[in-house]
Amino acid sequence: MSDAVQTATSALRRSFHYRDLEAAGARFQPVADAAVAWVYGDDAGNEQTRARTLGIADLSPLPRTGFKGRDIGPWLAKQSVTVGEASNRAYPCGKGSLAAKLAPTEVLLLGALDGSDPLPGALNDAWTDDAGLCFPVPRRDASFWFTITGKMASSMFAKICGVDLREKSFDNHAIAQTSVARSNTIIIRDDLGAVPAFHMLGDSASAGYMWMCLNDAMDEFDGGPVGLEAILALRK
Amino acid sequence: MSGGANRLPERAGEWVDRARSVSFTFDGKSCQGLEGDTIASALAANDRWILSRSFKYRRPRGILTMAGQDANTLVQLPDEPNVLADTRAISDGLVVEGQNFDGSLENDRGAYMGLFSKFLPVGFYYKTFFRPRGAWKFWEPIVRARAGLGKINEKAHHGYYDKAYGWYDVAVIGGGPAGMAAAASAAKAGAEVLLVEENPHLGGSLAYARFDADGMESSKQLEALKADLGGVEIMTGAICNGWFEDNWLPVIKGNRLYKIRAKHVVLATGSIEQPMVFHNNDLPGIMQASAAQRLIRQYGVRPGKRAVVATANADGYAAALDLRQAGCEVAAILDLRAEPTNGAIVNAVRDHGIPVHAGSTAYEAVAAKGNRHITAVTSAKITGRGECGSGRDRFDCDLLCMATGYTPTHHLLSHAGGEVGYDGASEMFCVRSVPDGITVAGSLNGSYDLGATIAEGHYAGWSAAKAIGLKAGRQPRVPNDRGSLNRSHPWPIFPHPKGKDFIDYDEDLQVRDIQNAIREGYEHIELVKRYSTVGMGPSQGRHSALTSVRLTADETGQDIEVVGRTTSRPPFTAETFGVLAGRAFEPVRHTAMHHRHLELGAQMMPAGLWLRPAYYGTQDQKTACVEAEALNVRNNVGLIDVSTLGGLEVRGPDAAEFLNRMYTFAYLKQPVGRSRYLLLTDETGVIADDGVACRFGKNHFYVTATTGGVDNVYRSMLWRNAQWRLDVDVTNVTAAYAGVNIAGPKSRDVLAKLCTDVDLSPEAFPYMEIRTGTVAGIPARLMRVGFVGELGYEIHIPSGQGEALWDALMDAGRDDAIRPFGVEAQRMLRLEKGHIIISQDTDGLTIPHEADMAWAIGRKKPYFVGGRSIDIQVARGIERKLVGFEIADPAVPVPEECHLTVRGEEIVGRVTSAVRSPSLGKTVGLAYVAPDQSEPGTEFDIKIDGGRIIKGQVVKLPFFDADNARQEL
Repeated sequence: MSDAVQTATSALRRSFHYRDLEAAGARFQPVADAAVAWVYGDDAGNEQTRARTLGIADLSPLPRTGFKGRDIGPWLAKQSVTVGEASNRAYPCGKGSLAAKLAPTEVLLLGALDGSDPLPGALNDAWTDDAGLCFPVPRRDASFWFTITGKMASSMFAKICGVDLREKSFDNHAIAQTSVARSNTIIIRDDLGAVPAFHMLGDSASAGYMWMCLNDAMDEFDGGPVGLEAILALRK
Repeated sequence: MSGGANRLPERAGEWVDRARSVSFTFDGKSCQGLEGDTIASALAANDRWILSRSFKYRRPRGILTMAGQDANTLVQLPDEPNVLADTRAISDGLVVEGQNFDGSLENDRGAYMGLFSKFLPVGFYYKTFFRPRGAWKFWEPIVRARAGLGKINEKAHHGYYDKAYGWYDVAVIGGGPAGMAAAASAAKAGAEVLLVEENPHLGGSLAYARFDADGMESSKQLEALKADLGGVEIMTGAICNGWFEDNWLPVIKGNRLYKIRAKHVVLATGSIEQPMVFHNNDLPGIMQASAAQRLIRQYGVRPGKRAVVATANADGYAAALDLRQAGCEVAAILDLRAEPTNGAIVNAVRDHGIPVHAGSTAYEAVAAKGNRHITAVTSAKITGRGECGSGRDRFDCDLLCMATGYTPTHHLLSHAGGEVGYDGASEMFCVRSVPDGITVAGSLNGSYDLGATIAEGHYAGWSAAKAIGLKAGRQPRVPNDRGSLNRSHPWPIFPHPKGKDFIDYDEDLQVRDIQNAIREGYEHIELVKRYSTVGMGPSQGRHSALTSVRLTADETGQDIEVVGRTTSRPPFTAETFGVLAGRAFEPVRHTAMHHRHLELGAQMMPAGLWLRPAYYGTQDQKTACVEAEALNVRNNVGLIDVSTLGGLEVRGPDAAEFLNRMYTFAYLKQPVGRSRYLLLTDETGVIADDGVACRFGKNHFYVTATTGGVDNVYRSMLWRNAQWRLDVDVTNVTAAYAGVNIAGPKSRDVLAKLCTDVDLSPEAFPYMEIRTGTVAGIPARLMRVGFVGELGYEIHIPSGQGEALWDALMDAGRDDAIRPFGVEAQRMLRLEKGHIIISQDTDGLTIPHEADMAWAIGRKKPYFVGGRSIDIQVARGIERKLVGFEIADPAVPVPEECHLTVRGEEIVGRVTSAVRSPSLGKTVGLAYVAPDQSEPGTEFDIKIDGGRIIKGQVVKLPFFDADNARQEL
């Protein structure tokens, strides 16, 4: 991470709704090839406390990719990426990445939260036309990526999503492909340390709308935006 | 702090906070209550008893149930009509008004209506206002003004409402003794339990009723049951308003609707005390015995100074003890039974010297002036069913409590398909059957003895846990005698020659109204209901159903069981539209360049869920802005955001075959590196969408679709692919790609500054070809297209970098006078080229031949969706044709979309697009005309606003750059 002062637009790749983040007081840091909302205030401790209760981080600029097609299994295996049999489950892979199996013929790969794992880019680079019926899906641009953390996360989700996301019903690395606030969404539970956490991916063009809906739903629990720094701290 | 003249000394378990006073106004006068008071209890504490006026006769009405079960307490708040005063809590500054009166609540000028009750028989409205024809139009506003409920404030602030889901093993509805016991037992067995109670505190009857002579049992049991609720999620102040399939329960708490799903439901919804029927039984000061007890025990309010209790069970005697303990003299107990039962409570009443008159009833209530309150009760000896002897005794009093029976609160059970019948032994409705997944307990199920009720609750919780597969332990025992006998009198109905013996307070219906309805031939209980409107008011028959069934049975000579009941449907109580609507989720989609458009002064327009720039500039300069943007494209270079266009990746060995079947054109031989027009028709041959197929590889097409059509196209592709089972996969990548179209004679020059890895020369990159490369360092798909009829490139790039590309192109084009153009200018430019827009220039019946699109049909292929339908329709002959037309005379108005094209009186088509073209200096457009009018040079009539006819002349398309030299530059 660079200490240089960054803006949301200092990289070509920027959050889909960076103005909302700026309005919330975000300060940005370069991560991988993008500018990411790193902190929202001066008190990192407060932000970490919020992340443990109910926080939302915009990780949209971070690397991720996806692959789809009948031959996805053999091709990923050839790239040394092992994904389990069950669909709607996420499988850790690479150096901090997470492979979410959405269907027998589709995998979404979330890069490491600190942007350090080269796997998403490596897979994109490795793909060629001769991969059979297996082709990349531009997940980094098709979908926003929010991470919602904290013990109140499932209570907040109960206001806008019909799937039971409570810890006892939706175990770690379970996936729900559902509707949130009338918009198609993928929800992946991926706890950070002992803190419940959910990656949420949806229509990138609706990022601003969904950010507004989620923040509104979080108000009741004093939840709100947190930066990537607070998210990374939860892993410790 | 007294909190009112009738406020009693503080007692344990009451619901009000003596330390906090609350000020509010009612009917324009200020009033003091306590925190926790309802509007009605606070008014009662201040000796104010009239809460409303009745629907038809405008009679004063007061507290009846103190349980939110009747329409007597409906009041008006500034932003909310029809609020139940006996359940709505007061708050500082609350402004409460009465409703449905002329003048004031105390002195209603409309009260004279009661004098005419004999002239307003049942069915009066059906018989009176429909003759002569059209009379109802005259009477309706008069009737509606005279009879009604509260008024909606149309300027009320929009409240914040939302919804939440909840998932439980067991949901227990009703927080009385049975419900609490059920919840505790289910939770102990390991179930995740939700306990829903409509009141702000748990307890049910334990919170107001007296179960023993010294009055301590209820509080003792309440504390014990509450202490046993560990692990139970408790929701108080919440009402379950219905039961839906698979145990889906709508639970309303405040402004939130909880959508609860439970594996098993325990209904412990209790019972509703029923009123007696006698003359003037609706006066303020006449209430259920349970209402008086609620006032005393929950709110610390004395309900009267001198009372008479009319009863047919031990509960009336218990109420008499409560009244006496609250400092209210009990003048008499009128026991409808010839031989009252004995027991500790009855004995205690006798010990206190309260006079008991067995075999007597309240015959008529004596009213104060204006029927404002009860002043005395006249009793009579009962000589037969509903009959009284001639002797009368008079008891001065300001309170009459009625305790003559109950009916189970069966509504949720009925919603679920449970059956309710009539039990002749207990003289009450009773549960006959319960559907799977539901258990009933408490007085809903006929349990009135407290010990039996609690035992049955434990049994219900045990049953629920067992039903969902938990090890619930030993089966709890339930006593055989559950105390249902001697609770309800079989006929507490005493018609009076002067009437005003109300059976339905909501609708001011009297005994004779039901009798007359039946005598007029409406014998079935459902017809009685609809003709008389009994049970159709706000309280939905909670207090009238039993009496009307009894009267119907009596009049028709049927058994009550045979008469049955009317159907119960959700909702159980009134619910607001706000609660049903919840939070308004209205998704909106922004392109990557959305904020750049706003910064440039764009006027945005919706396109499906997207927002697109219509034009850049102020609204009053719209025409000038659009023309300037269009001319700049023709003369220099323009930039338009086309990110909203649909994008679909079609991949696989059968990709070309797939497109060949989906679309009208031929794609098998389409070369890699080229694009080809797409036209989609549905099974009926109607044009459904269009776009471009870009072949980036042998097995890879990038397909565009219209902004509004892409989701349907994608869905259709998946559906077709599932049937055809081709070796192909489809992905919707619309949001993944931002897109711009840079168009105009200088577009190549501008693009060349940012794109150095693609040879942009016309020879290397001709019209309709596609390339991949980088633009401003951003990976891009480039397409030579010509929708606006100029040299142009569509550039599709990852949406996360869309804004950066826009900035780079605007910078690069500055010296070439680049300016953005919006959808309005684009539509003008494409119209000059004669390009159609699907769904603007086509409709739900347009086949390709009508739109002059037959050229886009591949004739050599065996099949495409809609092909056969098109062949059939063409063979029959088409009845209209889309043509280009022009109007040269600048003085003639520009026709608007959907202006009709006519031939004499016959409508032959409509205008679909028209614009005054700045490039051509005349009006051009597209319109449907009769086939014999479609030859260039033909004139046809257009009927514009005001019926004026103008002439259009058919011309050959395109209007502009006929040899396409500019776009193929």
